[in-house]
Amino acid sequence: MLGFMDYIQHAFHLASQWNSDNSYSSLTASARDILDFDIPRGLRFSVSSLSSPNFANSYTFGTSGVVDGSLSYLYSSLPLQVASRSKHIDLTELIRGYRHVLELRRPDNPWWWETWHRGKRVDRLATLLYGRLYVPASRLEALYLRRISPTRQVHLSCVSDERLQNGGTILALLQDDRAKSSTEYLFSTDSALLGVRGLYNFGPDPRSSTFPPNLLSRFSVGGELYYGLLNASGGCSTGLRFTTLPAHAGFPYTMTLTLNPLMGNLSSTYSVKAGRNLSMCSRFDFNFYSYESDFVVGWEVWRRRARPMESASDRLAEDVLSKPVPTLRDKEDDVEGVLKARIDQNWRIGLLWEGRIKELLVTLGASIDLRNRDQIARSVGLEIQYSS
Amino acid sequence: MAFNFNWSPLIADTSRARDMLTSALNKSPKPPIIVDDIIVTELNLGSTPPELEILEIGDLAEDRFRGIFKLAYSGDAFLTLKTRVQANPLNTHLSTKPSFASPQPLAAGSGLTIPLQITLSDFRMSGFVILVFSKQKGITLVFRNDPLESLKVSSTFDSIPFVRDYLQKVIEEQLRVLFMEDLPAIVHRLSLRLFSSEYSDMETEEVDGQRNDDSTIPVDPLASPPQDPTDAFGFPLDDDQFSLDPSAELHASFSQKNLLRLAALTDSHRTLSLFTPSIRDTVFRAWAGPSDRADQFGQHPSFAAASLSRMNSALGIHSDVSTVSGSGESDASSSRPTLSSFSSYYGSNGGRNRARPKKRRVVDLRRPKDESKVPDAAPLPDAVQPPARVPATIQEREVDLPSPTTTPTTYPRLTGQQPSQTTSSAISSINLTSSTAESPSSSKSSAESAPPPYHLHESLPTRVGKEKPNDLTRHNLNSIPMFRNYSFEKPGSPLSAHGRTSSFTNLYCHHHPQQYWASGHAGTSYFESTGSILEQAWMRKMATEIASRVAGEKAAREKLGGVVKGIVSSPGAAPPLADAPPAYGS
Repeated sequence: MLGFMDYIQHAFHLASQWNSDNSYSSLTASARDILDFDIPRGLRFSVSSLSSPNFANSYTFGTSGVVDGSLSYLYSSLPLQVASRSKHIDLTELIRGYRHVLELRRPDNPWWWETWHRGKRVDRLATLLYGRLYVPASRLEALYLRRISPTRQVHLSCVSDERLQNGGTILALLQDDRAKSSTEYLFSTDSALLGVRGLYNFGPDPRSSTFPPNLLSRFSVGGELYYGLLNASGGCSTGLRFTTLPAHAGFPYTMTLTLNPLMGNLSSTYSVKAGRNLSMCSRFDFNFYSYESDFVVGWEVWRRRARPMESASDRLAEDVLSKPVPTLRDKEDDVEGVLKARIDQNWRIGLLWEGRIKELLVTLGASIDLRNRDQIARSVGLEIQYSS
Repeated sequence: MAFNFNWSPLIADTSRARDMLTSALNKSPKPPIIVDDIIVTELNLGSTPPELEILEIGDLAEDRFRGIFKLAYSGDAFLTLKTRVQANPLNTHLSTKPSFASPQPLAAGSGLTIPLQITLSDFRMSGFVILVFSKQKGITLVFRNDPLESLKVSSTFDSIPFVRDYLQKVIEEQLRVLFMEDLPAIVHRLSLRLFSSEYSDMETEEVDGQRNDDSTIPVDPLASPPQDPTDAFGFPLDDDQFSLDPSAELHASFSQKNLLRLAALTDSHRTLSLFTPSIRDTVFRAWAGPSDRADQFGQHPSFAAASLSRMNSALGIHSDVSTVSGSGESDASSSRPTLSSFSSYYGSNGGRNRARPKKRRVVDLRRPKDESKVPDAAPLPDAVQPPARVPATIQEREVDLPSPTTTPTTYPRLTGQQPSQTTSSAISSINLTSSTAESPSSSKSSAESAPPPYHLHESLPTRVGKEKPNDLTRHNLNSIPMFRNYSFEKPGSPLSAHGRTSSFTNLYCHHHPQQYWASGHAGTSYFESTGSILEQAWMRKMATEIASRVAGEKAAREKLGGVVKGIVSSPGAAPPLADAPPAYGS
């Protein structure tokens, strides 16, 4: 489950019409959300609020052996009109599962964003500022996001912590999303790491006027390249993805294949939304240098509130008449909870339940190691969020 | 005299040492590049024994030995380790960084773990080893400095220069930790198992429950002195075991039971309890007189804990100074590197020493001298010596330590007067002071007529200016601790007000708790008129010594004449010292 601040950031992306899925770093987003979900540790409680459309704050208090907490503030220059009460937040927005890749949207013309008033431009660029202070660890996180043009975004994140080398680190990202392709340039002060990521979508160009409206699927390739100037080491990977689009008639699925040629790591995922309430994903890793392999399977089951009684004829009519063209917001606001599970080849099991109990958003997780008989439950955690 | 070190049996069976090395290597947090346990697969001590040069032998008997060696090794020992490492530098790099500002690569950070075999050979070592052996405590072996000079790391990755250099660096770091921290602990535990029956009994009991309890034993032999058999029961240790002081060996003969009884005895002394535990072959003796009591006073942990810690820290400062100055000198002190810095080490963490049952180091240095001075309390001017401008020895400075009682009145007066009268006036002022302790009002006028108390500091740069340039730093350093002792008379510090009333008891009642020891003195001189002879003699002695030093400085200043006066009066000369904070802030 996303934290409240991540939810607000996502809302900012939506409001500023930024497609964060069209990036090489989110190539395997579906598999990551189904397989690599975080399991909370200990007890965590957070209270958040979007006190005005531009300002949000959140306080977290947790204990996992030691008591700690954090407080965070967020300012957005765009007014965010989203549901912020934990009773009303749409859980499909908050809980990340199988990721429907949407059809590409044609980027805005720059002059659409201009606002003129008496011969002067008065529009402002959308900006998001976010800060989070962890106590008692005294770690400070800061984020600066700015939409500098309809196709570009600057992302600056900093961490200040005296235990880090040089007392902190800064990551600067320049993201350029031209729908057909997207590139990201990054620089991290940690060992002066330089990086480039790129993604290219095959198929018709959404910027052209002959862009067909209902594409069924999309094929994308991408790659990334890093080089640390100070430690003279680098890394690279390349990947491809095939995914169905919402107009696809059958069940939605996504296949990805990533390859790290330097380290000889090959990873393939297959995620499928088998039904309205069920998604599955599997991932197979293989290293052709060390012959090590890894296999993980995961499921997520959505549980919805029982609908009011429908007459049989209604259901019949629905089945026959309405062709299954699922739109994303198709009656999904009645979600009660999601159960996620994963298991890997070493019999390590992760279980997570996320849902809403009255006004509280609850995350309950456990990781279990069946190999290690004397300590089967490795960690258990409970996270409770309330927002207003 | 000859020593016979037999090297060959050490080569024979290394399996136990191998196990211990394995556990020692895995105990400390490993760098992120190492993703598995480090396993020692092969350990060969080689056929060439290390060369040992005996520098000093502090104690020698059938069942105990302590000495300092110079160790040089360039033999053919080798060690083979096996582990698994992460070959992707991006992976190790990211694993140590916060995720919030990490670039979060998609697959570029995926891991590749590679089994790695490392052979360490061509050890070149040289260093000073302190070896203490006794039947009860086993062998304690401490490296005075970092002994590792070089070694050769050969691994699976020798063909990749970047990885090879990295491994070399990381392994050298780990080995230094091993030599300085883990090896002494291993040697000690091995020797205990051999020699001490008490320990081996204990260990066999422990073995049933848990075989490896490495984590419970502190590994830093300097931060915590090597364990003796009593350690497991939580009894404090004596830190004198490195001092090469033969009398410190007394403690070694205390057994577990006796220590318990002694603890009970001191407990009963603290209260009104009349219970006396029976200790065999022991003569119980009461305190004979005030001198004994004072002697005991300094040693008693519960009374003097605070003052001891203060004295210790002062000692630490002093001996630091002497180490520094010693390095300025040539070989003479560098060939004996141990003693002064040891005392500095133990002195500097006085808080740890607080619970020690005995504080021989602090008390014994001064007391015998003091008592010898008691009979000739009258002929004080004889004690005036030519100004000792040799680098102040530790003892001389220690004598200064408890003396701040006298300073607030003496120094202001002294600096204001002619050098010829200095000593006598100092003595008279001291006498005055001790009498004012009984009647504060009578001395008020004389104290008020004193010039501002920081005259003392002006004499320091003078002395510095007089010295030869190469002596300059040393004397500067030497003067600083002394200065610190007096520095609380700066105007602005709360004590300057008490200097005006010149009441000892006031002084020390308001002063820091660290001054407890001194306040004990002041208290006795104030409340017990009978016991004050000793105290007065003590103070007189102090006064003469201070007076002599000040007189010497005065004379030196006179000699230098106008030049020095220029320095003294120039504002730039004094401030660095005058601005120094009080050594023991409240």
